[in-house]
Amino acid sequence: MTLEQEPEAIEPSIALADVESSLALFAEGIAGRYLHIRSNQEFAANPKLTLEESGGQNSDTLFLPESVATTHASTYRVLAMEQIGLRECDTLSFRMETAVEQIPSLLQRFQPDPNAGPRVGDYRLLFTSFSQPALAEDLFLLFEETRIQAHLQRAYPGLTKHFQAYHGYLLESQVPADLLEQAKRWRMGEPRKLSDSGLQRTLYEAIAEHRESAATVYDSVTALCEHYEAVLAHYKLEESSYRETDESLVDWLNREQRVEEWEEELEDINEQLSQSMAMEIPTGQEEEAVYGDAGDGSQRQIDLDIKELKDERDTLKRRVDMERSAVAHALGKSQGDARSFRYDEWDYLNRTYLRAWCRVFEQPLGTDGEDDIAPLKAVIRAYQNTVQRQLEQIRPTGLERIRRVQDGDELDLNAVIEARQDIRAGQSADERVYSRKERVQRDVSAIFLVDLSASTDDPIHPPEPRDWSNYEEDESDTRAGWYASFDEIEEEPEEPGRKIIDLEREAMVVMAAALEALGDSYGIYGFSGYSKDNVELFIAKEPDDAFSHTTLKSIAAMAPKGSTRMGPAIRHATQKLMNTGSAMKVLMVISDGFPQDCDYGPVRGNHDYGVEDTAKALQESQQKGIETFCMTVDKSGHDYLKRMCPDERYMIIEEMEDLPSQLTKVYAALTGK
Amino acid sequence: MNQITSDAGTNQAPYYLPIADEVEVFQAAYASRLPVLLKGPTGCGKTRFVEHMSWHLDSARADDERPEIPLLTVSCHEDLTATDMVGRYLLKGDETVWSDGPLTRAVRTGAICYLDEIVEARKDTTVLIHSLTDHRRILPIDKTGELLDAHPDFLLVISYNPGYQSVLKDLKPSTRQRFVSLEFDYPDVETETQIIQHESGVEESTAERLAVIGERVRNLKQHGFEEGVSTRLLIYTGELIAAGIAPRRAATASIISAISDDASVQEAVADIVDVILP
Repeated sequence: MTLEQEPEAIEPSIALADVESSLALFAEGIAGRYLHIRSNQEFAANPKLTLEESGGQNSDTLFLPESVATTHASTYRVLAMEQIGLRECDTLSFRMETAVEQIPSLLQRFQPDPNAGPRVGDYRLLFTSFSQPALAEDLFLLFEETRIQAHLQRAYPGLTKHFQAYHGYLLESQVPADLLEQAKRWRMGEPRKLSDSGLQRTLYEAIAEHRESAATVYDSVTALCEHYEAVLAHYKLEESSYRETDESLVDWLNREQRVEEWEEELEDINEQLSQSMAMEIPTGQEEEAVYGDAGDGSQRQIDLDIKELKDERDTLKRRVDMERSAVAHALGKSQGDARSFRYDEWDYLNRTYLRAWCRVFEQPLGTDGEDDIAPLKAVIRAYQNTVQRQLEQIRPTGLERIRRVQDGDELDLNAVIEARQDIRAGQSADERVYSRKERVQRDVSAIFLVDLSASTDDPIHPPEPRDWSNYEEDESDTRAGWYASFDEIEEEPEEPGRKIIDLEREAMVVMAAALEALGDSYGIYGFSGYSKDNVELFIAKEPDDAFSHTTLKSIAAMAPKGSTRMGPAIRHATQKLMNTGSAMKVLMVISDGFPQDCDYGPVRGNHDYGVEDTAKALQESQQKGIETFCMTVDKSGHDYLKRMCPDERYMIIEEMEDLPSQLTKVYAALTGK
Repeated sequence: MNQITSDAGTNQAPYYLPIADEVEVFQAAYASRLPVLLKGPTGCGKTRFVEHMSWHLDSARADDERPEIPLLTVSCHEDLTATDMVGRYLLKGDETVWSDGPLTRAVRTGAICYLDEIVEARKDTTVLIHSLTDHRRILPIDKTGELLDAHPDFLLVISYNPGYQSVLKDLKPSTRQRFVSLEFDYPDVETETQIIQHESGVEESTAERLAVIGERVRNLKQHGFEEGVSTRLLIYTGELIAAGIAPRRAATASIISAISDDASVQEAVADIVDVILP
């Protein structure tokens, strides 16, 4: 891995990272749903390691270049709209079967290859029906893009001038080469030339007509069939090939959509199957006695149907799985409906920020799991008294009567008497003669970031010599400031095999219950991930959500995942806190070790880079007026926490069982100032 | 603080284009004097609907039965107390004089009292509502010791916007279950086009473009702004355009700057507006 940035381009250019956030909003507004944005470099040959197979909803992604060398700010919008156009014009739902049905001339060309498996994309099937697939593809795209562009200009008239600007740039920067590129240039607005051949004129006219009349993707295929022979003759390709062909982005997106159709089919079959199963007569023998032979016969028929259905389902399922993994390989791992954000990272070796280096995916924790929430409820009850004691000190006093105001629900007698005196004395009286009740309010937003790295799967008491704890004890006294007034908490009888993650969960529910009573707004997130492009943030509770059964379920679903890339998680949480607009903002990070990831720094195993980045992220957060605090259950935490945050901003939990009560205590101290 | 509307007394019915059966339901509720709760996002036509209904109900009455002001609107805010609604003693020269609040006035004269954004008000106001909205139909005024029986024509209408109020400010079930609920939402593109065209007087094609902007920008709600762009804002835009402002400038002034302060959201909305307008 290299940390060096590419040298600054000298020509004017726009980077995707600069426009991504507003472009994502733009695309979501236009399309009506969230679309991922990734750079072309993330497309294909994506060496990402997948930690888990994610099923479910497919991601829908716009693939855009990392930067464009133009000064037109609207260029990315045009590129995004072209890809949204693919979806709005149903280009991606092209199916060969339908095409063959609708277009007789295609049927003559199309010879189903008995060896071709079902995994060949529909566009591949189409183009390989022609003698020069790549040429067919280019010709098809010429027509299809015309259709899409015409649609876009009709639906979004404001786009026309941006198209012109973008096309103007393309015309300037590219050199015309052959027939099809000439046709493209003409479409982009280049005037006709006298030297244009007859074939060229025919093509131009076809394009012009296509622009007006084409309605579906099959119209473009028809146009392809019509003009293919003439164009092929022009290129005079006999031996040599027009160009090597490979599957394009459109191919893959088309295949991706096909998988979704198959999945729907699969669901249908499953439904049919369960219906048939329900019809199936449970025990053959008894029924035979009643219905005789007839019953037996229909029974056999049903069994046969079920077997057929099962076979069909299994085949389809295999096909879906294979295709999905192929698509995932090409387009990157499906992130479902997780939103993604990019953040800079601090490279301390070069003293510079790496622009838009990390991608954070934000996704809700599944709540449909079987995780038991009863223990969590028990934990809330167990801590209720202690926590209440701690928080009572900072609870607002409620209503307060404010005197001498302009307007209120009651007259303020003293003020009235003074006013009367003034009037009698011939002076102008003070008009503020009312009193009113006002609520004293806390305006606090808090975010809790919980480390969900794989190491949280470790048991609380590792089998190591107990001497360790004695060694650390002295040091803790030097930092008594934060917990000088510990309440002694009765230790719960320890269950065997409790893990760090269990404690984190407990701490979170205790905290949630306490904050619910206090009325502060708070969010709870788990973070993990693997590699810079795949930092994951799991939402257990957003600040706007109510504390509910679902929250408990989500907290229960927190589970150990991958690595601990703290920097981007902190930056994302900071962003979220800034959006709340609260007067006081608190960010608490609960971890079990130092920040680390597979590519967190040039040398794997050296944690300096990660520590420095995390420290920088915390600093950025503090500069924005956020109170940060780090808590760790890692007893060797002093080494790196000292470098990451000021002394009064971190705490090491000696006895891990204390985590829940210590957390609420620190929170009370932080926000009660 | 209290905005008293008397629109409904004018000769022309306030324009309202029904989206579903809300007019019939409201009339039926009024016939039995059942209080009504209007639910829906900001600027989708709740207040206009009440004005429209109030005008129709009022014009159906005989002249001598009409209340002075047929519709009293109170825009609730977080400092609005029960006193503001019921009334208070005022200092007038050397005297302290009792002055009815809008709610008391409506209860006495048989007007419709419309409490806009009720959940914004303090909790003590919702309690007032309780005795008025069940079979008792009374309003106790503790400061004067009065127990006021509601006029037979009196009706309470409240509105609330479930979108942006936090969970803490939700209506209590005991309050909510006293009302007939009518749900409002932004109209579809076609209906909204008609509304914009009628209200602002722009051409149909412009109105249609504005309605499409509304539809697309609403896809973005919950990104820095809690509510999508309202029909009201689109009408404002239309009015600016009708007054001769260039469409893009009008949209910047009335839509883009109005709905969010977040720079990237503003930029995205501006981009959406830019590609949709001709």
